[in-house]
Amino acid sequence: MAGSELSQAVDQMAAPTGAARSNNALVRSLIGGLVTALPVLVIGLLVLNFAPTYYTFLALGAFVNLIVVVGLQVFMGNSNIANLGHSAFVGLGAYGVAILSTPLAMKKLSIPNAPFGFATLELDPVSSALIALLVVGIVALVSGKVISRLSGVAATIVSLALLIIVHSVFLNWTDLFKGNQAFFGIPKVVGLPWMLVFAVLAIVAARLFKDSRWGLQLRASAQSPQAAAALGIDAKKLRLMSWVLSALICGLAGVLYAYFAGTISPKLFYFQMIFNTLAMLILGGMATVTGAVTGVIVLSIGLEFIRSIESGVTVAGIQMPQLLGLSGVALGVVIVLCMAFRPSGISGRHELDELFSLLLRRNAK
Amino acid sequence: MDYALQQLLNALAFGAEYSLVALGLAVVFSIMGLVNFAHGEIIGVSAYSVFLAAALGLTSPFVAVLLAVGMAALAAVVFERIAFRPVRYAPTTTGLLTAFGVSIVVQNLFMLLISPKPQSVSVLNGLNQMWFFGPFAVSSLQVMELIVSGLTILALVLFLSRSTLGLAIRAASRDFATVRLMGIKANRVIATAFAISGALAGIAAVFILARRGSVSPDLGFGLVLKAFVACVIGGFGSLPGAAVGGMLLGFIEVGLLVALPQEYAGFRDALTYAIIVALLVYRPEGLLGQRIELGDKEI
Repeated sequence: MAGSELSQAVDQMAAPTGAARSNNALVRSLIGGLVTALPVLVIGLLVLNFAPTYYTFLALGAFVNLIVVVGLQVFMGNSNIANLGHSAFVGLGAYGVAILSTPLAMKKLSIPNAPFGFATLELDPVSSALIALLVVGIVALVSGKVISRLSGVAATIVSLALLIIVHSVFLNWTDLFKGNQAFFGIPKVVGLPWMLVFAVLAIVAARLFKDSRWGLQLRASAQSPQAAAALGIDAKKLRLMSWVLSALICGLAGVLYAYFAGTISPKLFYFQMIFNTLAMLILGGMATVTGAVTGVIVLSIGLEFIRSIESGVTVAGIQMPQLLGLSGVALGVVIVLCMAFRPSGISGRHELDELFSLLLRRNAK
Repeated sequence: MDYALQQLLNALAFGAEYSLVALGLAVVFSIMGLVNFAHGEIIGVSAYSVFLAAALGLTSPFVAVLLAVGMAALAAVVFERIAFRPVRYAPTTTGLLTAFGVSIVVQNLFMLLISPKPQSVSVLNGLNQMWFFGPFAVSSLQVMELIVSGLTILALVLFLSRSTLGLAIRAASRDFATVRLMGIKANRVIATAFAISGALAGIAAVFILARRGSVSPDLGFGLVLKAFVACVIGGFGSLPGAAVGGMLLGFIEVGLLVALPQEYAGFRDALTYAIIVALLVYRPEGLLGQRIELGDKEI
C-alpha cells in the first residue's frame, strides 16, 4: 500500500488535466466531504431539537473541538508532521474577536488601558471575526515560513515553542489580553445553528484540500520525500500552505468559541486543549477527515462520562472520592494504545464515502 | 564586576542543567529516533520517589541522591520496555506521539495518586547554601551543578568512546542493522541508552529538588520543553549539539534576565523562544547539525 499516494500523484501530474476531469474530481470530493459531515449534521440537528440546555452547551464545546481537530488534520494528516501548537491559533482567534467586538462599556471594566486605541474601538461581530482571522493568517504565514523549512522533529518542537510564545504573551500583556484573568463581555452571537454550518464548512474545506492536487502532492512527499522531490514537488511550499489553512480553521474555531461562550481565558488555549484534540485526532485516525470526525464524536462522549466519574460519583449509596487526573490518564492511555496497536486510528485509510463505495463494489461482485 | 561574575555563574549553571537534560534526549534520539517527551516525567518519577522516601523516613541526602538517579534510570528503562518497544520500528511521528501520551499518563498519575498540589521536599535543601570566597558570595548549588554536569559529561564521553557498549551505541546511531550483524543485541543497546538518559535526568532532578524544595506533577515538563529547544538549536540527535545548545539557552535566558526591565520579565520565555526560532531561520539544521541531502547514507 505504501506509495499509493505517490503513484496517484504521478498519474495526476502526467495526465493532461482537462477541465472536465478536474471538475469531476472536485464534485466527487465535495460530495465526499458532505457525506463525512453527515453524522455531524445529524447529531447537531438532534441536539438542536431535542436536547436540554446543558447538553446544548456541551455540544457547542464539542463542535469547537471538532473544528479544531479538523484544522489539525489538515496539517498533520497531510504532512505527517506532529503539530503541538495549534491551540495558539485557537487562542489568537478567540482573543482577536474579544478585543475587537466587546462593547465599550465592558471594555471600560476589563481593558481600560488597551494600547493602539483598542479601548475605544467596537466593531460588529462579522468584521471582528474577519480581522481576527487575518491576524491568525499573518501569524501562521510568518511561523509557517520557519516551520516548513525544518525537518519533522524540529518542526514539532518549534510548533510547541510557538504555543509557549503566544501563551506567554496572553499572560503577560495584561493591558491588552487581561492576563490570567477571564476576558468577559464578548457578545454571544453564535448559537448551535451557526456552529453547525461552520463545522460542515470546515469539514468540506479539509476534504477539498486533501483531495486537491496540493493535498495529494503533500501526502506523497510525506510518504517518500525523495521520490516526491524527484517529481518536482515543492514540499516546503505545500507544508506552508497546509499550515496556514490549518491555522485559519483553528482560528475560526477560536472565534466561534469566543462568540458562544462570551468569556475566555488563556489557560483554555494551552496544553489541555492540545492533549484533548490530539487524542481525538489520533483515536479517529489522522490520515482522513472522517478520522477527525470519528475521534471527536467518540472521545467527546467518552470524556464526558469519565469527567462525571472524576468529580466523584455515588455508586450504590457510597460517595466515591474525587479522582482528579483521571481524564488525563484516559487521554494518554488512548494515545499510547492507539499508537501501539492501531496507529492508523479507528477509521484507517479510507474516508466514509470511500468505504461506502468500496462496500457497494464488493457487494456488486 | 561582582554582579557580572554572578550572572556568568548563573548562565553556566542554567546551561549545565539544560545540557544534562538535552543530552539525555539526544542519546535516545540518536539511536532509535524517538523524540522522548516523557523525559520530563522521568525527572518527575525521580523527584517523587525522593518525596515518598522522605515521607517514609529516609531523610539522608546521600541516599536521596542515589535514589533519585537510580529511580530515574529505572523509570527510563521501564518506559522503554512498556511503551516504546511496541513502536520501535514505527515512523518518528508515531514514537513522538506515544511519548507525548506516556507523558500525559504519568503526569496525571502523579495528580491522581499523590496530589495535584506541590508537595514540599526538604531532604536536599542542605545542598543549597551560600559559600563565601573572600568578597564573593556564590550559591553552592550552582557551583556543584556546574562541576557535576561537567564530570557527568566527561564520564559520558569516556563511556561512549572507550567501552564496547559505548562504541555499540555510537555505531547504532549511524547504522543499527550493522551493529546487530556484529552480534550485539538491539535490546541491550537501547536499554543502556535509556538507562544513561534516565541517569542524566536523575542528576538534573537532584538539582531541581535542591533548588525548589518541592515536587509537583508538571515538575519536569517545562524543563524538557526547553531541553528540546536546546536540542533543536544544537542540531537534533547530535550529542555535542545538545550540550552546546543547552549552554547557549542558559546564556540567552540569563542575558534576557539582565537586559529586560522588571516589568517585562514575564516575556522572558517568549523572547527566548523567539530568538531561537529566529536562529533557526538561518540554520534550519541547527548549529552543529549537518545538512543531510536526501539519499545520503553516511551521516
